[in-house]
Order: sequence, then structure tokens, then C-alpha cells
Amino acid sequence: MIHRPYTRRRYNRTVRIAILPLLIVSLLAPSAARAADRVVAATLDNGLRVLLLEDQRSPIVSFQLWYRVGSRNEHRGSTGIAHFLEHLMFKGTSSHGPKEFARLVEQNGGQNNAFTSQDVTSYYVDIAADKLDLVIELEADRMQNLLLDPKEIASEREVVIEERRTRTEDDPGGFLGEEVSSIAFKAHPYGAPIIGWMDDIKRVTPEEIRAFYKSYYVPNNAIVVAVGAFRAADALEKIKKRFGRIPRGKVPPPILAVEPTQNGERRVLVKKQAELPIVYMAWHVPNHTSDDAVALEVLSTILAGGRASRLYRDLVYQRQLALEAGGDNAYFSLDPNLFWFWATPMPGQTPEKLETELGAHMERLKTEPVTDEELARAKNQIEAAFVYQEDSIHQRASLLARFELLGGFALKDSFLAKVRAITAADLTRVARTWFAPERKSVGVLVPKS
Amino acid sequence: MKRALAVLVALASVVSSVPVGAAPLAHREVLPNGIVLLVAERPAVPIVAVRVLMRAGAVYDPADRAGLANLTGAVLTRGTAKRTGPELDSAIEFVGGSVEAGAGRDSLTVSMTAQKKDLALGLDLVSEVVLTPTFPEAEVARKVSEIQAAIKRSEEDPGTVAARALGRLVFDGHPYGRPVEGTRDSVGRLTRDDVVKFYRERARPDTTVVAVVGAVTVDEARREIMARFGSWARPADPPVAVAAAAAPAAAREETVKRELTQTTIMFGRQAIVQTDPDYFPMAVASYVLGGGSASRLYTRVREESGLAYSVYSWVAPWRHGASFAVSSQTRTAETPKVITMIREELARMGREPVAERELTLAKQYLIGSFPLRLDTSGKVADFLVAIEDRGLGLDYADRYKERIGKVTAADVQRVAAKYFAPAAFSLVVVGETK
Repeated sequence: MIHRPYTRRRYNRTVRIAILPLLIVSLLAPSAARAADRVVAATLDNGLRVLLLEDQRSPIVSFQLWYRVGSRNEHRGSTGIAHFLEHLMFKGTSSHGPKEFARLVEQNGGQNNAFTSQDVTSYYVDIAADKLDLVIELEADRMQNLLLDPKEIASEREVVIEERRTRTEDDPGGFLGEEVSSIAFKAHPYGAPIIGWMDDIKRVTPEEIRAFYKSYYVPNNAIVVAVGAFRAADALEKIKKRFGRIPRGKVPPPILAVEPTQNGERRVLVKKQAELPIVYMAWHVPNHTSDDAVALEVLSTILAGGRASRLYRDLVYQRQLALEAGGDNAYFSLDPNLFWFWATPMPGQTPEKLETELGAHMERLKTEPVTDEELARAKNQIEAAFVYQEDSIHQRASLLARFELLGGFALKDSFLAKVRAITAADLTRVARTWFAPERKSVGVLVPKS
Repeated sequence: MKRALAVLVALASVVSSVPVGAAPLAHREVLPNGIVLLVAERPAVPIVAVRVLMRAGAVYDPADRAGLANLTGAVLTRGTAKRTGPELDSAIEFVGGSVEAGAGRDSLTVSMTAQKKDLALGLDLVSEVVLTPTFPEAEVARKVSEIQAAIKRSEEDPGTVAARALGRLVFDGHPYGRPVEGTRDSVGRLTRDDVVKFYRERARPDTTVVAVVGAVTVDEARREIMARFGSWARPADPPVAVAAAAAPAAAREETVKRELTQTTIMFGRQAIVQTDPDYFPMAVASYVLGGGSASRLYTRVREESGLAYSVYSWVAPWRHGASFAVSSQTRTAETPKVITMIREELARMGREPVAERELTLAKQYLIGSFPLRLDTSGKVADFLVAIEDRGLGLDYADRYKERIGKVTAADVQRVAAKYFAPAAFSLVVVGETK
């Protein structure tokens, strides 16, 4: 835990954008197909979805609660409210005081954290399996009984502001990513930062936070996932007994905004204290509901999955134009989102040059089929990552949740089959379909001299 | 450096806790040429993680060659007698595996992960990398410019800037005081000959630890490792010794100006290594002060005052020395207040005993969270090579549990009085300065 406070209550997007290209593979990888057979799934009378998977290798359990709410559910003027609430979920209930959650988890040898993304807010506790009762009690309690004391809100507001300074104001990559998202979306809330605009964080009232909590923190808007050393039947009984007391809430309001088709390239130029420039390019692409989404995943692996990938081998290795270069698709996004490209030019190289080169890679995909070796490698990488995920109970639980959010945890079983069916022609087709110049948003950060 | 620091800190936290009455973590044996082989069977998932740790870290960099171990690690996978770097990348990535090499302060480690069915290929590549690296001239040149660019970019990260400056103040005169990655100047002076000589002198079987963890048996692991590393000859001369870090003359302060909205505050001093009996009360003391989200600093600076998003303390034990550090980031105007709070809390640790409740929480967390830290084959492999390299022994687990369990409030106060006196800490502040 010594190194963890750093990432406490991180929010997802910056992390995804900042990390190595290979992450795409790990984000992608669900539990192996065979695991799905053993998942015990139930929906309680109050609508709470429960997924349980026994894993007896170590005497530990990963217990996760995923709420279907993120920055996607926010409105102009009150951005950041989902993330702010995530912080406040650690600030006490009527039966457990403000610091009790962390204290109880830690003194029972457990680790806990949470993150907010565009689509979800997720809480986890990894702990000795015989502490499952405690975790069920704590999570059920704060689903219903959060205090939201105005004094705690006032002090935590300052913490969130500091978090924004660390992640955005003082971080060139975070700052530019926020700018590009905001020009890429003009109607859909994906254009606003997960952490919220600074003025919104400063303004949002305890009443608004309370209303947000009441709307979205209801059993029929949540998924419990647990993987570990328990008997699934016992765990389900315990969950039913405790969470079953919480009344079903109103169905949360739907997201009505639909992003209109982009009709022309958009760009933003940022000057900021930094050592090297950064280039981001983002295209609107479909999400998992489209037949093209799996092909886009394979394509992003070919472009950015490892040192044999195209962007690394050409831009970083062979021509040494970039210190790093990568790409990332948005397969798991609940609404259509962005396919990101990024590069950091080497000293002496310009962002214009890197933008041209990234664009050339995209054009090449439209005209020239990928090689058999590239296609096979990408598929093998995705498949191997499935297997690696099996090693960690925490990752097994997270990936069940991710597929459940898309419509059902069993979707992960058909995912690999879809990956294997992708052809080189599919990749050419999706590149032509989705990577049109007029659907592109470009951000360039130039170091302030 | 930030990443290197994060890894070391993570490792420190792994090494510093241990299982509760667990079966032996691994099989251990010394091969005829001196390699220590550690094998942990984890049959449930068909993957294998391998680590080859060599005593070739930055601590062995000559004073005028800072960054040499780091460069050597970076080029190690960039060409072998059989394959070019790109061929090696393609071979392992084609099966969805990975082979990486990198140096830290004490050691240079080659890491491999592959599915069980690809173990032979993975081990072939690891052995080629360890035994027959060619360090091609062009690849050395590439990595030199890449590392220089990465150092330049890291100058925009206040945490890295602070950690680098603090390392220099805390370990003045010792190799630990120099950044693992070197400086842009020092790296620019490194040549292929430096790399070749460094690796020839440092890489040797009798200071090498190999861990094989996953869907593999002890017999199989021994056979496969012997087949590839058995003929690696042990040199006649003894391995080079490194001097333990001597305490620096006096605490110093340094400010680094950056155009930022927050300042990064980092306190640090030398501390104690894991073989010192005081290490255990030290670990408890650090946890009470700034270890988790129930800690004193987290409570006061973050929860009660809203002054920071991150505030924490940690002990970073290496082989030849250790550091203890406290860090936070706060808005520029509140910098003096946070500095004062950290100093006050440091002093209070030595002035009065910790409450029973705090003590219990820290001990139970440190003991109880151990299984979570060894929940994947990769983490087990990292842990095994680290405890072997630091001479802690496979029973360190049980010893640690027992020692942490015995720590009293008086022990914590005694160790804090000795090591947490604010005046002994160097301080680095990065941000807008008046």
C-alpha cells in the first residue's frame, strides 16, 4: 500500500491515454472462455446484478462494486460530479464514521481503491476471503446511507481541486488530452473531463451531489462482482441478505445526447511549460455495438501493440522520429467514442512531422492490406492477454464487470471468436470507413519557450 | 526515474511483508556454476514468469559513467548472436509473450512472460539475451538518444525532478546519489566499449538469481535452466564489493523553479536496510505516519485540511543502503503550511507513543495484506529474486510476520526518535518559488 496513495481514486481516462500501447491488450482481455461456465450470476429482486466466480488458489477475494454512472451522466455546469461523489463515498455513513471505511479495510489487511471513468464508477476491496462479510456490510451501507456532510464536502472539494492540478493543470499530456476531447465532442458529454472543469468543481453544491447520489447509487444501477476463495452459493446468500434490504430506485435518466457526424477537421494548439511537444489525433469510431469494433481492436494492436507494432517499429525504432508513439481504441465505451493516436517527437523533430507520419500510417492501412504475420501476431497477442488475466483475481473480476456493462458477461466468450475471424480486408475496410480526414480532431502541445 | 522509483517502492512494499504461516514460497537450489535457482509451482493458470537477476545495477556505474547500467539493460535485448533486436521482438510478440531487460539501483533483470506452451521459446530468448548479447553499435547509439530524450522529458515531471534532487542530497558521494538513468551529459559520453566491458565484468553466474514461477515443475525448471545456463562458466576472480552508503554530512534544502500551480514537497534521509532489526519498527512507524489512507499525514493534510491529493511516506530499502521519504503536492500558496505539518508529524512520532489503535492497524495491515501482494506469478517471481539478492532467505516471510507482530509502541517511538527528527531530513521543493 506504500506506493498506492498516488493512484487513489484515480479516474480512468488520463491513465489510459498516458500508458504504454500494450495496455490496450490488457484492457481488452477478459477472462478465459472456460471461466464463464462457472460464473454464478443472479439479479436480486431490487435489480442488483451479482456475478460470482470461485477461485481457490489463494485465500483472498476481490470484491468489486460497479455503478453505471460516470462523467457521461453529467451536465454542463456540474461536470466532475461523479468523480467528486466517488471521493465522498469514503467520507462516512450514519453507522460508519468519516474515516471508518479505510480504517476497517486496512486493519483487516485489505486494500481498497476506486476510479471514475466516462461510463462507470468502480470500487474494489481485495482482502482475505474470511473478511467477505465485512466488505459486503461496508459496500451495502454506503450504497444507501452516505452522510454527505457539507463540512466533509467542503474539505474534499479542495482535495479534488488539488487532484485536478496534479493531473491536468501541471501535466502537459493530461492538459492536451482534455483540450482534444473538448473539441472532438460538441453534443455528447464525453467532451467534458472526467475530473470536471475547475469552475464546476468549485461550484457544485452539496444538494446537487446528494441528488446525484440518490439517482445513480441504487441497486438496479449497480453490479457486484466477486472472484476468490468462497463458495458461490454462500456468498450469494450473504449478498442477498444484506444488499436485498436496499429498495430498488427509479430508473436513472437515459443519456439523450448523440454526437452528430463530424464535418470537418478540428484542431487545438496549446503552449505550455514542457520539455517536448506532444501530438494527439482522435477519430470518432463506433463502440462494441458495431460489427466494426472488433476489427478496430485488432487494428489498434497492429498499430500499437508492442515493439513489433507499426508505430513503434517505424517511428520510434527505425526512423527515431518519436520518443514514443501509440494508439488506443474505445471498444468498451458505452457510447461511440474516440480512437486515439499520440506521439512525442524526439528533440529536433517537429509535431507537424509526427502528425504527417501518423496520418501516413493511417492512409497506408486504407490502401495496403496488413501482412499475414501482423494479423496473426495481433490475434495471438490478444488471445495470450486473455490467458494472462486469469492469473489475477482482481483482473478476472474487472473483466467480468466490463463485459457485463456491455450487455452480459458471457459476451467475452464470443469475443475471441470474433477476433479470430477478422481478415486483412476487414481492416482495410474499417480504416476506410472510420478514418476520414474530416472526422479527425488534432491537438498539438508546444513547449513555451 | 519516476518509474524506477515507483518500481523500487513497490518492491519495497512487497519485500516488507510476508505470509502468515504459509508453505515454503519456493524451491531453492544452487546450480554447479553458482546460479541460485528458485522455483514456485503455480499450476492453475498455463503461464510462466521468469526473472534473471544479475548484480549489475547502477550502483556499479563508474563515477564518470552514470547511466551505464541503465544503458546496458536497455541494449541487452537489442541483438544476440542469433537474432537482431527486431527479430527477437517479433519472435516473442508473435506468441503474445514478452522479454524485457532493465537495470535498477542494485541489479539488472531480464524478465520473460509466456504461455506454458511457449516456454521453450521464451527461455531460448532469455538465454540468448543473457549469454550472447552483441550490443550492436547502432543500437547503442539509438538507445543513447532515446534515453537522453526521456531524461529531457522527465524534467517536466515535478515528482521526478524532486526525487532526483533528493537522491543527490541524501546519498551524497555514494552511487545511490546519482540517477539510475544518468544525466543527458553522462549518457552522451557512454560508448559501446563501456557497455561491453560493464556487462562482461558484472554478468556472472555466481551472482545471478533465476526465478521460474508458474505452470512448471521443479524438475522441469531445473532441466530447462541447466540446459541453457549450465555451461555458463564462473570467473576465477571474486565479485566486486560495494561500500555501504555512509551518512551524508548534513541535511540540505533545495528549491527547483518550475512554472506550475502546485509545489512538490519531498523530504528524505538515509534509513536502514532490511537486515537491521530496527527495520521492522521502522516499517510500522512509516505506515502510521504516512502509509495508507488511515495514516496521520493523510488524515491531517488531506482529510482534515484539504491541502493535498497525495501525501505519503515510505521506506525504500536497497542492498547497500536505504532511504525514508515523505512527499506531498499542494497549491503554491500553502507550501509553507504543508511543510510545517509534515515536520510536526515527524517530530510527534518520536515525542509520544503511537496509540494502540494506530499500532494495531499498521501491524495488521502489514501482516494481513501479504497474500494480496503475491497474487500473480509475475509478482511472486519479483519477490523471490529480491529476497534472494538481499540475502533475506526464504524464511524471511515468517520472520517478518513474527517481527512485525512483536513491534510495540515503545519500539516505534524509539526508532522514530532516532530516524524521524525533522532536522535530519533534506528537503526539495519544486514549483513556483518566491
